[in-house]
Amino acid sequence: MPHSSVVGDVLRANGLVKAFGGVCAVDGVDITVGAGERVALLGPNGAGKTTTLLMLLGAITADQGTIEMAGYRLPHERSAAAGQVGFAAGYLPLAERLRVHEYLRMYGQLYGVANPSDRIARTLERFGITHLANAMGTELSSGQRTLVGIVKAMIHEPQLLVLDEPTASLDPDVARRVRTNLLEICSERGTALLVTSHNMVEVERLCERVIFLSHGKVVANGTPDEITASFGTTDLEALFLHLADRQRAHGTGRSETT
Amino acid sequence: MNMSLHWLRIRAIARRHWYVLLRSPHRLFDVTVWPLIDVLLFGSIGVYFTRGGGPPTHASQVAFGYMLAGVLLWHVVYQSSIGLATGFMEETWSRNLLNLIVTPMTEIDYIGGVALFGLVKLATGLIVVALTGLGFYAFHVTDLGVAAIPIVAILLAVGWDIALIVIALTLRFGSSAEPLAWGLLFLVMPLSGVFYPIRALPWLLRPIARALPTTHAFTAARAIYAGRSLPWREVGIAAVSAVGLTALALMFTAAMLATFRRRGFVTRYS
Repeated sequence: MPHSSVVGDVLRANGLVKAFGGVCAVDGVDITVGAGERVALLGPNGAGKTTTLLMLLGAITADQGTIEMAGYRLPHERSAAAGQVGFAAGYLPLAERLRVHEYLRMYGQLYGVANPSDRIARTLERFGITHLANAMGTELSSGQRTLVGIVKAMIHEPQLLVLDEPTASLDPDVARRVRTNLLEICSERGTALLVTSHNMVEVERLCERVIFLSHGKVVANGTPDEITASFGTTDLEALFLHLADRQRAHGTGRSETT
Repeated sequence: MNMSLHWLRIRAIARRHWYVLLRSPHRLFDVTVWPLIDVLLFGSIGVYFTRGGGPPTHASQVAFGYMLAGVLLWHVVYQSSIGLATGFMEETWSRNLLNLIVTPMTEIDYIGGVALFGLVKLATGLIVVALTGLGFYAFHVTDLGVAAIPIVAILLAVGWDIALIVIALTLRFGSSAEPLAWGLLFLVMPLSGVFYPIRALPWLLRPIARALPTTHAFTAARAIYAGRSLPWREVGIAAVSAVGLTALALMFTAAMLATFRRRGFVTRYS
């Protein structure tokens, strides 16, 4: 039965498969994220991370497999499930011709918060960008847009935050502020985190568990220490490079489906 | 189903599009300049052909009225269709689609929000037509009377249906399908007998014209403008075929949306 406050896993995906035009992008991926758990989804370009994330968010339909978010099953309960998830991607612009507070108000209401003004003000303050509230989205730098996107993902206080490359365009100081705030929010509210990043240092600081994808398959799943030890590498960056070399040696990183 | 939640989302989308219009005045072209030009063009053609040869007769006055009533009612189709179709395209132009489709908002909420705001644009466009017609050609919209209400309702539905088809094609084929937002309307307009009975069309096109709900709606409009009672048979045919077109447009959009999700086309806009 669906429930709004999950004690066990907030995300449970089993056997996800997705092929595009006969090329398999995701090949039998299993992912679980526990309530309040901070998980990184890593892998070289073309490993299937974005496709996996978009399936989990209901933006792409899986060919095979099951997805359950906060107790709601996709795709039939997509709307209810989406209400429990916040999403931000460093590469997405803000909607044009809106001021930041208008943009955040719109998304707050789309996520069911009738009067989001107080939450918007608190979250903008938390990330130190209150001064941007009246700026037009097009006037912001890419880093500022990313921060506003993260605020947007949090207004409805979701059970799971899905962040795709959240700090890619941020300077080290702002990136640290984002990490600190994310850790605090996860700790205070029990919010779970699923994040993709190419910054391995950031992942080690932010996430308790790491899932590595390569060729559309999960090749490692555990704490950073566990998986670096199992591959015999010194750290996550060395493991990443090792997997990237292996994927390149196998061609595109994707397999043909029959 | 929590209706207040749906209404909250519909209003949020409508408000977003209000801001877009407010801050991009060039988008007012469709709802102000285009109706003005249409009235000037067809009004002046009407004056030339009906009054140019001598003093106006009753028949020429009615024919002239057909043209301006046709412009007015065509703008119901045009504005409702363009409002909804370009509202959706705004999300693709500003790469906002991925952020939207991962929210709890349903497709009905979204269409409802854009269509609701489209009614504001529709009202603006019709006011421009009415005032221009009155000011330049002494054409009174009120001559159509309350009998025009069911006709307007049918034309509004057809406009939204055309927009849904454009949205569906954009979901499937991407931005290359966007010119159809205007192109489909220019295909439907001459076939609908907006300014003339369809017997004026080449015989080959008449069966197609008869299948369109707009044709019967404009036939009914001409009847009431000529002072006859509302031809319920024509209105009935228009209403039934509009319901059929709506069902087809909804099914087509749902199928294209399923293809959009299955083939991962959202990545075109992210």
